[in-house]
Amino acid sequence: MAALRDGDFAALQILLKAPSKDAVRQLCQECFSSPPAALGPLAQRACPGLSISAQEAEQLVSALHNLTRHVVYRGLTRAEDILCLFPENFHQNLKNLLTKIILENISAWRNEAQASQISLPRLVDMDWRVDIKTSSDSIARMAVPTCLLQLKIQEDAALCGNNPVVSALTVELSKETLDTMLEGLGRIRDQLSAVANK
Amino acid sequence: MGLLNFTRDPVPEAVSGDMHNLNQLSAQQFSALTEVLFRFLTEPKEVERFLTQLSDFATMNKISLGPLKNIVKSILLVPNGALKRNLSSEQVRADFIALGLSEEKASYFAEQWKVNSPTLTRLAVGQTLTINQLIDMEWKFGVTAGSSELEKVGSIFLQLKLVIKKGSQLENVYVELTLPQFYSFLHEMERVKTSLESFS
Repeated sequence: MAALRDGDFAALQILLKAPSKDAVRQLCQECFSSPPAALGPLAQRACPGLSISAQEAEQLVSALHNLTRHVVYRGLTRAEDILCLFPENFHQNLKNLLTKIILENISAWRNEAQASQISLPRLVDMDWRVDIKTSSDSIARMAVPTCLLQLKIQEDAALCGNNPVVSALTVELSKETLDTMLEGLGRIRDQLSAVANK
Repeated sequence: MGLLNFTRDPVPEAVSGDMHNLNQLSAQQFSALTEVLFRFLTEPKEVERFLTQLSDFATMNKISLGPLKNIVKSILLVPNGALKRNLSSEQVRADFIALGLSEEKASYFAEQWKVNSPTLTRLAVGQTLTINQLIDMEWKFGVTAGSSELEKVGSIFLQLKLVIKKGSQLENVYVELTLPQFYSFLHEMERVKTSLESFS
């Protein structure tokens, strides 16, 4: 998580050179979404649009990234709280614009942060089918229903970057196994309701 | 020998000799031997115990163990074939008589077969090929309090550990679900249960 640094606000004033409010908006979004490692290339792309030097671009992009991430980290939702972050002599209009842009995006950004949180591999999809086993080498005639469950599991998004690895796991459950599983799932549901009702 | 129910293949020659020897046993001895056999059939993993019981039987009844083992091998041909082919107890009885066992002993064995066949059938079904069988499921759920990107989170997560049998090894699979996914999963599993029950 990026922390706000002293030079950041000075760098933010470079935004005064931006051609339009939309350009600022666009840049804010890109800076938030970019991981720290990708800020360099982002700065290079921003240079021409703002007619600034490479060094200025880097400072600006880094500052915007820190600011947006800081607001999301602290969970600030009110304009006053965001305005407070800026130093006294910061350009008034720019301060208001940035605050407005941040407030517009805050919930989307929060969701983005939560979605890219580290976690165990996540379930993305599940399918099932019920088969009837009619015959096998150990018994010539039978009618045993069984369930095939396919779970699509995605590895940790942070590890895969833009190419998440999704693996499909097919599992077979007998009726007894399913009953036991449902018992366990029922207990989870009961405990969840108990927690929710507290 | 007429057509047998429990097998289509020709029966080894030694079998009629073994049946003849079986006929020499008293009813009580035959009953004790049958009990040992069925105990083994219903618990096929207990090989050591089976061999011990056979050897005890041999000692107690003054029979040599070698010939006894051959007799037992012959007898076991019938229940093994009968299980594969879902034979009724009448068919088992008929087969033993066709092999040369006395009517009285054949009827007794067939009776024991009838009593034990549900257990034996369940065992055979249990041995049927399964693909990635789910053995166990462990779970925990909790609340994410914070992260490096969000100071305060407060969202619920559910983690499942599925223990799966792949071939002869066990593999653990860890999965995380969100709350809506959990409810959806539970709903689907209940639908599966309904479906399985309608086919049972």
